[in-house]
Amino acid sequence: MFRYVVLRLGYCVLVIVGVSLLVFVITHLIGSPVDIMLPLQATDEERAQLEHQLGLDRPLIYQLMDFASGLVRLDFGLSWWQKEPALGIVLERMPATFQLVVLSFIVAAVVSVPLGILAAYHPGSTLDRVLTAGALTGICVPTFWVGLMLVTVFAVGLGWFYTSGYGTIRHLILPTLSLAIVPAGRIAQIMRFSMLDQLNQQYVTTARAKGLDERTVIFKHALKNAAPAVITTVGVDLGRMLAGISSPVEHVFGWPGFGTLILDTIQHQDFPLLQACVFVVAIIVTVINLVTDLSYGLFDPRIKY
Amino acid sequence: MRGWLRLVCIALIVAVATSIVGCSKPEEKKAEPAQPTQPAQQPAKAKDSIVVALQGEPSSLDPQFPDDGNMRAVTENVFEGLLETDGQTLKPKPCLAESFKSVDATTWEFKIRKGVNFHNSDPLTVEDVAFSVNRIVDTAFKSQIAGNFRSIKKAEKVDELTVKIITDGPDPALPVRLTGLKIVSKKHVEASGDTVGAKPIGTGPYKVTGWSRGVNIAVEAFDGYWGPKPSIKKALFRFIEEGSTRLSALKANEIDLAVNMLPEYVKDVPKVASVEGLEFPLVRLNQFKGAMRNPLLRQAANYAVDKEALATSLYGGYAAAAQGQLFKPGYVGFNAELKPYPYDVNKARDLLKQAGYKGEKVQLVAERGRWLKDGELAEAISMMLREAGFNIELKYYDWSGWLKILFDRNLAPDMILSFHSNDMFDADRTFSSLVHSKGPMSSYTDVHDKKIDAARSEMDPAKRQKMYEEVGKAIYEDPAFIFLLNLKDIFGMSKSLDWKPRQDDKRLLSEMKIIQ
Repeated sequence: MFRYVVLRLGYCVLVIVGVSLLVFVITHLIGSPVDIMLPLQATDEERAQLEHQLGLDRPLIYQLMDFASGLVRLDFGLSWWQKEPALGIVLERMPATFQLVVLSFIVAAVVSVPLGILAAYHPGSTLDRVLTAGALTGICVPTFWVGLMLVTVFAVGLGWFYTSGYGTIRHLILPTLSLAIVPAGRIAQIMRFSMLDQLNQQYVTTARAKGLDERTVIFKHALKNAAPAVITTVGVDLGRMLAGISSPVEHVFGWPGFGTLILDTIQHQDFPLLQACVFVVAIIVTVINLVTDLSYGLFDPRIKY
Repeated sequence: MRGWLRLVCIALIVAVATSIVGCSKPEEKKAEPAQPTQPAQQPAKAKDSIVVALQGEPSSLDPQFPDDGNMRAVTENVFEGLLETDGQTLKPKPCLAESFKSVDATTWEFKIRKGVNFHNSDPLTVEDVAFSVNRIVDTAFKSQIAGNFRSIKKAEKVDELTVKIITDGPDPALPVRLTGLKIVSKKHVEASGDTVGAKPIGTGPYKVTGWSRGVNIAVEAFDGYWGPKPSIKKALFRFIEEGSTRLSALKANEIDLAVNMLPEYVKDVPKVASVEGLEFPLVRLNQFKGAMRNPLLRQAANYAVDKEALATSLYGGYAAAAQGQLFKPGYVGFNAELKPYPYDVNKARDLLKQAGYKGEKVQLVAERGRWLKDGELAEAISMMLREAGFNIELKYYDWSGWLKILFDRNLAPDMILSFHSNDMFDADRTFSSLVHSKGPMSSYTDVHDKKIDAARSEMDPAKRQKMYEEVGKAIYEDPAFIFLLNLKDIFGMSKSLDWKPRQDDKRLLSEMKIIQ
């Protein structure tokens, strides 16, 4: 177990370093950010001067060496756009996104897991069909559109919540709901599918035949075997969401999180900040993957690391 | 082993739970929170406080460092320059300087106003002024707006109330430039080091009282302000990037002023104000190679585009045909004699015939999403040009690809749609970049260089104006542009806000009022 974790952590470091270097190369390939940073009217002289200030006129290999040595010290330099340490800016924005994403996953799980089980328990019923169609709709609707609709109805129309902003529970509810829709649909789908699969297994028949009550059969035996599939989905979706898929919703609600930050960063072509963003995302995603993998052992004693 | 895993899981859950609880009260971490505490439907708007929605968060509040419109929306209220722009005539007028004069061709003297205090109660001194000027032109400081002040060599104290600014050559536009040079406190800047952009101290009518990162900036009227006391005592700047969310927030009465509203929002906005803005869309025509080398074709292109139709149907009336130039009245160099090229397809067709145009392919390059309706504008223009007989091939590029083409003469297409804005309101800025052969987006040979160079250092305003009018007339008659439109800025306001937008695009809280 310990050996496995250490090995996996080693892989994680490789992935994070690899991703960081890749992003460094890609950002430097898409062209000079100087044109974007300066007003259109700036002279060639001003452009050259800024390029020099940013160190972009040096050979790429020197820039790469600087970047690599910064990476080791966790120092990505100052953001060009905000003139503050890049990593600090990213970490400052992370909690707001964390709050939003985790809360929406909790909401999604609380709603969808029972519904998925229920649908699997009555396959082919009207309830099952309605839930399946609902889950599919949830996955398909664009989150920002849901956000706009929720704002129109509950903030502008009814005045129950704020249209946008951050700070109170009344700021939090609408973005959480908009963000919860897709994972709720996915979790319900996977839960239903995986549970249905388990309920058709012979061990369930055996459990029922030996007279176990239905609740034990469902929750103790079937659910435990169905869970890893759902956990995998949640793990993947959670990583994606924290990595900036929440951007449209954050954008619509003016949420001061990572999603809006990474959009702004790309728009400003702020290389140090972009590299810090990707670095943090890479860590989050690899850690979530590791935890997901380790959690399988909780549900299936056959899995040993 | 499973116990071990369970422990990890429990620890994770606890960590998540505490972070959620922790995050929901971010105010506690900030020294001075700037939190809107009004209920959603009826903001507890005391008569004297407003909420302004910006398009994004300022990158810093050091008015000398970034080139950032979101920042200026805040700092224009917090800082002042030696001179300021008159909101209607666009001419510079005294502000922190009581008077100024040009001593010789390269020296200007400014008498500073007595009794001006910074927000920390320190009096404004000549040292502060000299420090501010020298700071912004210091190449080591790397100000993003240093280019606006390139002509300034240094500032020196003359006596307790007089400062002189020395330029490296005659610079008639210096007063205009100085309207954008905000005066900071020497003591405060030197003491605060890296945090100067977070805790601004100026002399303006408002002082910053809180900045909640990612959320809002709060300002309050400064009691010790030297000028008239503003009627609005408190304001909150919120950052709402999404236009439709700004509209929703206006409709829900959460905000009082929203910038950059789309023409199609206007019917839903409680109250609208608009003014001729600073953006001039134009098509640059390539007179160095390709089909558009022929001046007749370039004229034909100008006749072929129906400016009025673009203004009314594409921009919902929130634009006007540009006056055959890239200036609006009030700009130094505006030529009142020039009129828009009339829309005349037949004349365009005749010119095409006359030029012997055989339907050679003409490429129009555009980008989408940077400016208001830029993609649609390119589409509409190409249809109008095709109507007149041009064989237009419309190509869209992403922003950085488009920029590369814009600046590289070797890649220059036959036509490229661009937007020009000139926040100095001085023809030099436009001509230097678009007409002078050394300009980064030059569309001309060196025929106008001499005049533009001479006008740049011509100290007699009347002579200078005349020189620019001549250049304007020449490029009108032999156009390397299709002069299109002057866009209007659209502001959404709450019913209770009373405000008239300025010609220079500044939104000054001190000029706003709440009406009941």
